[in-house]
Amino acid sequence: MNNRVARCSMFVTPTNPRFIDKAWTRGGDVYILDIEDSIAPAEKERCRSLIRESIQKASKGGASIYVRINKPFVDADLPYAVWPGVARIMRPKTESAAEMQHAHEIISRLEKERGIPEGEIELSPMIESALGAVNIHEILTANPRKIWSQGGGGGYDMAVNLGIEMFADFDQYAFPVAYVALGAMSLGIEATGGVFVPNPSGRVDQSDQAVKQAEALHAAGIHHAGALHPAFIQPLVSGLAPTEDEITWANRVVEEYDRLADAGESIGTLDGKVIDKYEYEFARGTLDWAAACAAKDRYKARALARAQAANVSR
Amino acid sequence: MNEKPMPKYIRRSLISLSLDDPQLGEKAYASWADAIILDFVRKPGTDWQKELLARMPAAIGEAARGGAEVFVRVNSDTAAAELEATVFSGIAGVVLKGVNGAEDIAKASERLDALEESRGIAAGSLEIDVEVNTAAGVWNSLEIARASRRIGTFTANEHELCRDLGMLPEPVLEFEPLEYIKSQLITVATSVGGQAHGMSYPLSLTQKNVGEEDLRKAVRRARDTGFKGAVCPHASWIKVCNEGFRPSAEEIAYYRKVIEVFAEGLKRGMASVPIDGKMIDVPVDLRAKLYLEWANRAQARDEEKAKAHARPAS
Repeated sequence: MNNRVARCSMFVTPTNPRFIDKAWTRGGDVYILDIEDSIAPAEKERCRSLIRESIQKASKGGASIYVRINKPFVDADLPYAVWPGVARIMRPKTESAAEMQHAHEIISRLEKERGIPEGEIELSPMIESALGAVNIHEILTANPRKIWSQGGGGGYDMAVNLGIEMFADFDQYAFPVAYVALGAMSLGIEATGGVFVPNPSGRVDQSDQAVKQAEALHAAGIHHAGALHPAFIQPLVSGLAPTEDEITWANRVVEEYDRLADAGESIGTLDGKVIDKYEYEFARGTLDWAAACAAKDRYKARALARAQAANVSR
Repeated sequence: MNEKPMPKYIRRSLISLSLDDPQLGEKAYASWADAIILDFVRKPGTDWQKELLARMPAAIGEAARGGAEVFVRVNSDTAAAELEATVFSGIAGVVLKGVNGAEDIAKASERLDALEESRGIAAGSLEIDVEVNTAAGVWNSLEIARASRRIGTFTANEHELCRDLGMLPEPVLEFEPLEYIKSQLITVATSVGGQAHGMSYPLSLTQKNVGEEDLRKAVRRARDTGFKGAVCPHASWIKVCNEGFRPSAEEIAYYRKVIEVFAEGLKRGMASVPIDGKMIDVPVDLRAKLYLEWANRAQARDEEKAKAHARPAS
């Protein structure tokens, strides 16, 4: 399983067969099984009971699986969310270290009971309020579990909390998004999406919007983004992987720097551009990310072929 | 999140009036501002404290005649003496100018404790509104916000802040130079359940009188950034601020539709239903309800002021 590559994480509702049964054919890197805001209160119980089988269904095409639980029902949701095959628990509207610690302890107990190596399941605090944003450092350092910073400082809930109307043509989250991303990066934690791209229509189903978002994130060095509609999957999956040109350039930089090093030098030029250890490390990062993406794509292709074969033979 | 009213106060328009203005009462009454901030000058060579003590109670009454909340602006570095001379029953709180750290708030709050007791004001009722005009004040804004339960609002004195940052206090740039700082103060204020006041660039940095249409756009942008009101340099701004720092008639109609469509969806077991390609789910529904409540409170505030205006002058 390759969980590191999460170029596009798409929310799916386990209670809707139309979405959950088709998810594996759509090519996403990650599907987030939602028990939170896309599930009606009266449907929560049924949704919980569907999580385990939904993990199998949604991962058939090689995607990783996350589960988004409810802030008010952490204790009730986690026993239905922590299973083998789940890579990450997403904890919405997180505002304090104590909330992280609480979730961590329950997940640890469930891992032990269910034969999952302790600490294997990652925990993502979703920052969706002003209080969560200003407390980002204590939240990310609350416990030893592998943490990802997810949903950093913007979005619907932040709009509600700040009392703003979303989808203006300027960046309404200049401070909280930057502060949360910087907080994560200062701890060596990869951050997800968070570059402002105007979307005054507010629509979440337009692939040209997804292309623009992918370009902006890619330029900012962010590899991970979320989606609410399948139209976003392909633009994000291809747009957040390095391009052929970038890979070619990175290979040349690494080669040139190695050559410089052999000659006892630490700085040179290539096509008129300065090559130094920063360029070298950036190039190595590009190649590393390209290899991870390629591995994920191969893994997904094999899984998809198997699932399609099984589907036909049925 | 959002158990408390949003925004905390209906305080869309604030105007500063001088205690020395012979037309203080008339101006306050005619302004229709939600809040009046009283300013005073400490005349050298006079017993300014004694003079203020004699004048304040009547001035507060004058300023409040049109139904506005009344505040008095005091300097943080000389707060003790100034609070002693200006705090009387009838003010809602003080605007503390030039706050640089939590210590400033602690000191002022302690003085207010004593004054509330000695002058027959309900304990803990006086608000402290923070006016920031230095880099230190911005940097320490979170500890300032957390220093006292009295903290109500944050505002940047942008002209003075620009001076402190070594920036030209004029709108000479294509972009908003204080975008991050404004967003920070909004986030910090919201994180403690308070709110921030301010205007969008370039009107935030110019005293130039602009047409009503431009002013409306500027207020809209300020509101979309998260500000809940603005200090008005001209009385002509007040009407536009009162109308703009609240949900508009079109928004109210839309939120009513959201609540209706969402409730219909819930009946069919769907917690996520589309209106024109936008997904209506729990947070969107919650926002619609909060905004309707906000609109109702703004309406109630307008009626309160109308009632005050209908009362014959005593």
